[in-house]
Amino acid sequence: MNISSQSIRQGRFRFSDVCLFLAPAMLLYAVFVLTPVGKSIQNSFLYWSSPLLEPEFCGLRNFRELFGDPVFWLALRNNFFLLLGSLLVQLPIALGIALLLHYPTWGQTFFRAAFFTPMIIPTAAIAALWQYLYEPQNGACTALIRLFRADFTYAWLATPGTSLLWIFVTICWQYIGFHTVLFMAGLSTIPEELYEAARLDGASELQICRRIILPCLKPTLAVSATLSVIGSLKYFDLVYLMGGGLPETSREVLATYVYRLAFDENQGRYGYGSAVAVLLFLLALLIVIPLQLRKPDRN
Amino acid sequence: MKKVTTGFIGRHLLLISFLLFTAYPLLWMTLTALRSEGDAQQRPLGLPAQWTIDNLREVFASGNFLQAWQNSLLLCSVAVLLAIATAALAAFAFAQFRFRGSNVLFLLFLLGMMIPVHVTLIPLNQLLGADALNLKGGLGALIGPYAGFALPVSILILRRAFEAIPQELLDAGALDGCSQWQSFWHIGLPLARPALSTVLIFNFLTMWNEYAFALTLLGPGCQTVPLAITEFKGEHDLRITSVCAALLLVLIPLILVYLFAQKQIIRGLTAGSIK
Repeated sequence: MNISSQSIRQGRFRFSDVCLFLAPAMLLYAVFVLTPVGKSIQNSFLYWSSPLLEPEFCGLRNFRELFGDPVFWLALRNNFFLLLGSLLVQLPIALGIALLLHYPTWGQTFFRAAFFTPMIIPTAAIAALWQYLYEPQNGACTALIRLFRADFTYAWLATPGTSLLWIFVTICWQYIGFHTVLFMAGLSTIPEELYEAARLDGASELQICRRIILPCLKPTLAVSATLSVIGSLKYFDLVYLMGGGLPETSREVLATYVYRLAFDENQGRYGYGSAVAVLLFLLALLIVIPLQLRKPDRN
Repeated sequence: MKKVTTGFIGRHLLLISFLLFTAYPLLWMTLTALRSEGDAQQRPLGLPAQWTIDNLREVFASGNFLQAWQNSLLLCSVAVLLAIATAALAAFAFAQFRFRGSNVLFLLFLLGMMIPVHVTLIPLNQLLGADALNLKGGLGALIGPYAGFALPVSILILRRAFEAIPQELLDAGALDGCSQWQSFWHIGLPLARPALSTVLIFNFLTMWNEYAFALTLLGPGCQTVPLAITEFKGEHDLRITSVCAALLLVLIPLILVYLFAQKQIIRGLTAGSIK
């Protein structure tokens, strides 16, 4: 049966079919994704003395400049802050909530839907809302603390060094519900019999959590971690939007730096911006490929 | 009946406290939209001293957002349809045809998921600018990049769906003289419907929220919803109540859709990410 069905398919299979099916996607992908990436790599070796003039080849000059650029290192450090924050704060909280919801709970569906809500709100709206919450004089965060300390005032987003921390809180607000739902989906695949067997053997809830739930949840954890890593490396939206337009370098991340170099303040530093972008891409590849390659042998 | 234990109550207290963290910003926004500006400046917390819908009426009358809604709907529909149509064809080929180089090609598509969109901002700006395609400034500029970047995830999800189709069905079709195109159209697509809806929801919401491309490639006078929000906030920054009213107006339709299609949306967004 199997052999004959193979031969039927092989017999009917024509090269022109493959082209017909693949060509539209290939074209779209090549024009709008692959070529720009290639172009970016090429751009990173060019120097524009002005955005309007023809660029000239400058070898590794952009990259050399990059390694001596304090803003680049700061941006890189900030990216790693977001990365560690999402792995060490966001994911554990999400896991905790998913575990809470895994036990019999009133309104489980309601909680799940409510926690997920921020995911459907445009990031631009989230940024606008949270900028008001962080308003130094009469924002909700300030006002809440004023309930306890009457003369409290604090420039949440304009204090260098900590502004990224408050942006990170907003990122958590946006994404924790999402990871919670991922973890809940992972938890629901664990067979009920495992718990029952463990309970019959007299295992405590803590032991069940450590010995059954966490090992079974490993694939989901890997997915969540990969998403967090990629997400925090290419993070742009809230850091850019909550900047309030100030050239505030202390919270710069790589993606916002690329954007600022090329498009903001009429800098037009396409070559240098491309060099930062290329490094960002290489970094993403370097970190993600090992994570992705490990997946098949787990399944 | 479950016994109400301390653990049971404790769990709910923890859940409710996280619910407060999630819901309070939205509640605060709603209340602020419904109070007068002076009230918002003096007492940012608590209920409005005087409830009013003047802010909402004012924003609604200004009409900025209606145009942005139309733009976003049009743009996202076209881009999603383009992405799904091309992705479905390619995914069917990857799932059903054995041809040399298919693995390499597939990996090339997967690579797209790791490409930060910002790497392509500068070249796309050149490509779509006046010297080349001359689409920059209008909605047309965004269709290509949106659809192109939607391909990797879409192909991955749809390929899995097409692979799950029982071989017997396709063989039976082939024996009856179905061409590859016919088996794609009459057997593949109908059976992949759940995956298609996942891809549709995931891509639509991603494009709906997209900011960096829109910021770079759209010009003045042509805005998507996220751009309109930022611009409105920039212009009315000191009137908290107006901006909150605008946000509320933008969010109400989204929340309504979410209320009705909550299950599908949650599944679509998470499945799209899990792959």
